[in-house]
Amino acid sequence: MAEVSHQAYDPLATGSKTQQARSRGIVYVLLTFFALLYLSPLLIIFMNTFRPLDEIVREGFISVPDSLSLKYWGEAWGSFCIGGTCEGVSRYFSNTLLMTIPATIFSTALGLVNGYALSKWRFKCDAWVFGLITLGVFLPAQMTLLPWAFVLGQIGLSNTIMGLVLVHTVQGTSFTTLFCRNYFVAVPDDLIKAARIDGAGFWRIFRRIMLPLSPPIVIVCVIWQFTGIWNEFLFGTVFTSGENQPITAAIVAFSGSGTGERHYNVEAASVIFAALPPLFIYVLGGKYFVRGLTSGAVK
Amino acid sequence: MTKFGKLLLGTTLAATTTYATSVVAEPKTNMMHQWAQGSEAAAIAKLGEMFEAQGGTWNQTAISGHTSNTLAKLRSDVVAGNAPAAVQLKGPEIAEWNATGATANLDAVAAAEGWDDVVAPELVSVMKPTGNWVAAPMNIHRVNWLYSSPKILNELGLEVPKTWDEFNAACDKIIEAGYVCIAHGAADWSDTTTFDSVVYGMDIDLYRKAFQEADVEAMRSQGMIDAFAQLRKMVGYMDDGINGRSWEQSMTMTMTGEAAFFLMGDWTVASANLAGFKEGVDYFCDQTPVNWGGDGFILNADSVVFFNQKDEDYVEGQKLLASIIMSPEFQVTFNVAKGSIPSRTDVDLSEGGFTQCQQKGLEDLKASVEQGTLVRSMAHNMTVLQKYRGAMMEVITEFVADDSITPEEAANQLADAVELQS
Amino acid sequence: MARSSKPAAQGLFQRLSGWTPQLVLVPTLLAAFVYVVVFSLWTLWISISQSTLLPNMAYGGFGEYAALWQSKRWIVAYQNLFLFGTLYVLGSLIVGTLLAILIDQRVKFESVWRTIFLYPLAISFIVTGTVWRWIFHPQTGVERALNDLGWISAQFDWITDRDMALYVVVFTGIWHASGFAMALVLAGLRSVDSDLIKAAQIDGASMARTYRRVVLPTIWPIFVAVTVVLLQFAIKTYDLVVALTQGGPGVATTVPAIVVYDLMFQRGQIAQGAAAAVMILVALALVLVPYLIWSIWRDKQGKRTHG
Repeated sequence: MAEVSHQAYDPLATGSKTQQARSRGIVYVLLTFFALLYLSPLLIIFMNTFRPLDEIVREGFISVPDSLSLKYWGEAWGSFCIGGTCEGVSRYFSNTLLMTIPATIFSTALGLVNGYALSKWRFKCDAWVFGLITLGVFLPAQMTLLPWAFVLGQIGLSNTIMGLVLVHTVQGTSFTTLFCRNYFVAVPDDLIKAARIDGAGFWRIFRRIMLPLSPPIVIVCVIWQFTGIWNEFLFGTVFTSGENQPITAAIVAFSGSGTGERHYNVEAASVIFAALPPLFIYVLGGKYFVRGLTSGAVK
Repeated sequence: MTKFGKLLLGTTLAATTTYATSVVAEPKTNMMHQWAQGSEAAAIAKLGEMFEAQGGTWNQTAISGHTSNTLAKLRSDVVAGNAPAAVQLKGPEIAEWNATGATANLDAVAAAEGWDDVVAPELVSVMKPTGNWVAAPMNIHRVNWLYSSPKILNELGLEVPKTWDEFNAACDKIIEAGYVCIAHGAADWSDTTTFDSVVYGMDIDLYRKAFQEADVEAMRSQGMIDAFAQLRKMVGYMDDGINGRSWEQSMTMTMTGEAAFFLMGDWTVASANLAGFKEGVDYFCDQTPVNWGGDGFILNADSVVFFNQKDEDYVEGQKLLASIIMSPEFQVTFNVAKGSIPSRTDVDLSEGGFTQCQQKGLEDLKASVEQGTLVRSMAHNMTVLQKYRGAMMEVITEFVADDSITPEEAANQLADAVELQS
Repeated sequence: MARSSKPAAQGLFQRLSGWTPQLVLVPTLLAAFVYVVVFSLWTLWISISQSTLLPNMAYGGFGEYAALWQSKRWIVAYQNLFLFGTLYVLGSLIVGTLLAILIDQRVKFESVWRTIFLYPLAISFIVTGTVWRWIFHPQTGVERALNDLGWISAQFDWITDRDMALYVVVFTGIWHASGFAMALVLAGLRSVDSDLIKAAQIDGASMARTYRRVVLPTIWPIFVAVTVVLLQFAIKTYDLVVALTQGGPGVATTVPAIVVYDLMFQRGQIAQGAAAAVMILVALALVLVPYLIWSIWRDKQGKRTHG
């Protein structure tokens, strides 16, 4: 939105040429420092995917691999024994996709409509309705575990991926409604007024005016929901069983402080697999994420 | 909106109809357990194969890591109205769940197979909280193992200590020689594992009163203060990297000759062998010191509890599963992988790949049954209710972490913490 | 439906269509009502019930609250929540703002930098917490690496020091969340009217001064929004601590969410766990009520100025 005009100014474009070069240098030094700091855990995980177990046990985690072996990647994906079946994380990976994609779509769609209704069709007590919905953002998961279990049991969805989709949709809609409502508030009311005078109804205005304006906020919601649901593990482990468990359950299986031995290399490779989709979404959508936020998701 | 509703309704219906299909009773099960990865998971997979070989339909839910994750799932499933067919549960929890009336009765299978005669007596009372079999024990872990580094002991000309005084004397020499004496990774359960051995080795009656009966007076006694004093001394024999270290890392410290001793249960054996360390070369295994002579055994056991099922298939499956778990064949496979020993005392450990340490464990178990020194482990949730155990573990782990707490204070805090829960 | 009722049905339809905005909200509202109100009330009741192993609705009194507040672990956890929350939010804001300002200098490869700082948000703490534990631990991490490089006296053992371990948690939390703060602040910086900045530059203000005096003050609502989002992260913090320190050394880094989970699920003290959860809600209210009052007030101000 304001990006175009912003390009016209450069905060560093003051002072003499050498001064400018020096401050530019400082900027890059600082950025590099932070980037290394931020990347270090990822690099360490990545290096450990190549190292045999005894090397890791003997030399510690932070060390350059002596040799490169892709064996553990293969094991992690397809043959390591997790949860009693020796199929690696591939099975859990698809479970998580089956859960994350519908829950992301449902909660984003609901959030869009809710946000539109709350911001452009003001009615009595709308602030209270909005407040109630957004309060859902704050409830600690540990607290809602047993009530959810009861509800899912009552409607026959316990131990199903569908049940998880429902839980994540309800919880996620709190977030998406918050984002979308704040985004749509910025759309000029005059646009809506004009459309209503022309006889357009609720859904028509939504389709013709709001939807075309919404891609930035849709991207924010999708990124937020997708990564949040993808990485959630408490509900994932508790509300599914056996073959339906999501990938975080498999990752937790690795990190357990149980009495079994730990295969750090396979664990590291699994972790990379589990992190790929959210990373991919961030890399792909990061630009739009910031742009979407710029145009008013959070105000 | 309505589309979403319909979709939701549709999938709900689809989900419920698939549930109510089969009519003929075929053994089926879904076992919930914590052995989610590596060789343990492979051992459970073996259980599944055996189950299917006998005509059953096998399914499992592996939730690893913290026991609380398994218990969270169990509670949610019970609250949701579909208790799992078989769950890995241990110690006093078996009695607690039994008291809710949700557990199934295995007496018929147990009687037919004579479980009462072959299961270690200390375990029978846990598996039969009110006189009926509600659980099948899978193994016996020994908690009071002392692993030592042959390299350091030989270099300094030391013997494996038999009493706590000998242990302290050995540590003084080891520290002087510049080694770490005790390899340890601090966590509530591992600190308490060490303390189990200390209290047990110093005063077995105190152990029984304080840790098996949660007797508050015993916790305040001089014996407990002495035990804390010994623990304080031992913390001094550890290096300053104990926090945030995993038990496997501590194990490696002893196996590679960086530290002299490591106090931990027999799962260490499985892990050490897998990491390529050799018994007798990289490590010795002996019982932790006892001041009263004789053989001691602190027991920990994994078991499977069966919950009441409506579906006949699952009831059939429970009988089959219980029978397989108790079969010598499964007990051998599972325990070789776990480093533990079978829960039935009639299995021959000289075959099937059991290590020397495991065989020694069984001998010591039998000896301690004869000598009346067998106890169950408090640290590994085999004695008192979780709320007492949790409260005690908090005090013990704080004592290890905080030098400023005196043994007297710790003993009183232990008693106070337990009193607060009752 | 009978044909004769058609006009009436049409009337009803028309009346209903007038209610579309409200009707659309009904499903979410119902779900939110159950999720927020019913679940909270249920927890409140359970906290004064006789529940132990399983929920039990029989009234049991306020004893569990008393027991909770006599437990050293809980008191430490509650104190940690406030200390951690404050440092974590402030730290993330400061680091995030710094990163945003750096990126705002028309740097090359902007999207690369941005992605690097944002990626921690995409990976679960179960994973990154473990790696940070390796890095912080004196025997596997920085201290060992420095020692191996020849600096024998190098010491970095905060994670094993009960007075410093919480700061390790804070640091890792900031590493995780500062990217989020960066994204929002950057978004804010981009929305600032560039004329304002030009004016300041023409007046000869230095870059630091321009940001401090002109740019940052105009985007303060963003800071409030980031603060609220971060605070809810702080209050829910669970897996970060579990993966990093497991609440140790001793109970030094325990946080309330861990206590709730332990009591409810590990120890079978559902009533006391619920009491702890209610105390988390109280902490939440301490944060949220002022925010709500503020945003309603701001809404009213906004309405007034816009006519």
